[in-house]
Amino acid sequence: MNAKELIEQIKNGDDKVRGAAWQAAGNAGSTAVRGLAELMFTGEQEVARAAKRALWKIVRYAGRPAGGDETKAVAKELVPLLASGDPNVRREFVWMLSEIGDIHAAPMIALLLNNPNLREDARAALQRIPGDTSLRSLKVALKNGAEDHKPAIAESLRVRGEKVKDFPNQKLVPRKQTAVKNPLAV
Amino acid sequence: MKPELTKTTRRSFLKTTGVIAGATTLGLPQIVSPRVFGANNRITLGHIGVGGMGGFHLREMVKRMGSGEVNIAAVCDADEKRLANAWKTAGAQAEVYRDYRYLIQRKDIDAVVIGTPDHWHAVQMVHAAECGKHVYVEKPACCTIEEGKAMIAAATANKVSVQVGSQGRSQPEAYAAHRYIASGMLGKVNKVTCWHYPSPSDDKPVADSAPPPELDWDLWLGPLAWRPYNARYCHGTFRWIMESGGGQIRDRGAHVMSNAMYFMNADHTGPATIEAKGTVPAKGLWDSAMEMEVTYQFKNPDWTLVWSQPGEKIPYFDETRKKKEGIRDGYGAVYHGDKDKLIVWVGDNQVYTEPKAVEFASKPGGVDVYKSPGHHDDWFNGIKTGKKTIMNIEAAVAVSNLTVLGNMSLILDRKLKWDHAKSEIIGDTEAHRMMSRPQRYPYVL
Repeated sequence: MNAKELIEQIKNGDDKVRGAAWQAAGNAGSTAVRGLAELMFTGEQEVARAAKRALWKIVRYAGRPAGGDETKAVAKELVPLLASGDPNVRREFVWMLSEIGDIHAAPMIALLLNNPNLREDARAALQRIPGDTSLRSLKVALKNGAEDHKPAIAESLRVRGEKVKDFPNQKLVPRKQTAVKNPLAV
Repeated sequence: MKPELTKTTRRSFLKTTGVIAGATTLGLPQIVSPRVFGANNRITLGHIGVGGMGGFHLREMVKRMGSGEVNIAAVCDADEKRLANAWKTAGAQAEVYRDYRYLIQRKDIDAVVIGTPDHWHAVQMVHAAECGKHVYVEKPACCTIEEGKAMIAAATANKVSVQVGSQGRSQPEAYAAHRYIASGMLGKVNKVTCWHYPSPSDDKPVADSAPPPELDWDLWLGPLAWRPYNARYCHGTFRWIMESGGGQIRDRGAHVMSNAMYFMNADHTGPATIEAKGTVPAKGLWDSAMEMEVTYQFKNPDWTLVWSQPGEKIPYFDETRKKKEGIRDGYGAVYHGDKDKLIVWVGDNQVYTEPKAVEFASKPGGVDVYKSPGHHDDWFNGIKTGKKTIMNIEAAVAVSNLTVLGNMSLILDRKLKWDHAKSEIIGDTEAHRMMSRPQRYPYVL
């Protein structure tokens, strides 16, 4: 199935046509990325969902051991999509890039560390993407980023093998109080 | 055929079932220092996640509170309606918490029971262990390979007793089946085939919405990436979403395949290859496989484990007993040996097998295997004596890894190679990266 055929079938009103299309989307390749992304931003609920799943299929097919440069081609199409639009859609692109692990995606992802809706996804992606660029981005964020996000950044750096003295892990710090009143009280 | 029971040595059993050294059937090794409790030897508990199976465990422990075995000091849930109900169940002596971190830091609590959705199991178990608590955690143990490694490391470093809720191993007829197989009655077992009815699809998807006022959505999501609330996520339906529930394979697979690994004495082993095929829902939020088949090939010794949804269902043979006891024969497994085969039905809080194994187990002499006093009691023994539990964390992670790898092979649509000694996928960079998934701060391992 080529990209044009895939997009048309994803837009189809019949669940069965859409479902079969996204499940067979893997080899549609990088040329389908932009069209599917457009449907993720603008399509009605199930069309957008089918487009998202088709795009994940493409990402995972491209990453197969014999995939060669296909992952780079897919990553190259995904990176510009990080720039604007619904953060709930862009979040998917961040995670796709984290799974591809393309080092060239790191600078654009690093910009999202300043976005309150996406900074945790960006941190997670930079933790996961190998290489110096992602590591350097985390170090810069620890120095210049939002103060309340620094403990999270520090944790990612520790996972990457860096020694970070400040910002101890807050994972065991309780934060949330219950409003439940004792139902057994007289 | 008359069994020569006294001639069946442990060595021959290992050879028969193809077991790697290190796994034991009778003498579970000691892993933690026996702990001294109060004069009454009573264990003080906290319950984290009190709906679904968490609610079941709470009710069970309330029964034991009456006999003085335990004290329930605290209950915790991210859903305040569930929390209020749990307080009524637990009694006025219990404190209530929305945030489990208050609970695990209480010095007076010895142990915790975790009954939250799967995506919380590893983080909460690790945190509880780091606070020195013994842990009963629902199955499956983990959602990623790295989570499993962290759980084992935390239990070992903090010397706590962990029991994972694959309670099939503790059922009386599981003992019978285990003993029958261990005694060589099937000959060399070279294949285990599991059957299970399919996962559902969501035929009436709904739009994202605001969460209900009683639910702390941020806390429910915990380690998962942020996303808007959708009514199809929870409560029980988390099971049908890949990242939080993983479908039937991660739910009942953690029961049926737990028994398979135990009976095959394969807890400390893993497959060499994993290959899955399946179909997922065409629409809706739920994305775990409706139907699937996963083939796990074990090497040295060679045997094959097959998980099938639906597979070939074998109805339980005794209709009268089935109706009387409510036997759910929609899932089970067949153990294929070179001399005979054995059917084991269900696999969780019910386990049933064929009369030949049940009757065999009641005979004196011969190879014996560990007989659990019950899953909760086995955990209490672990806490008090330091002995490994029947579903200890190493065994549970090995089983969870089967389910994780099966789902991973399905979504990647390719065969995976696994190095069990290193606990890692080999020859596939993308799949290797998927062995872990960074968690949302501060809900991290």
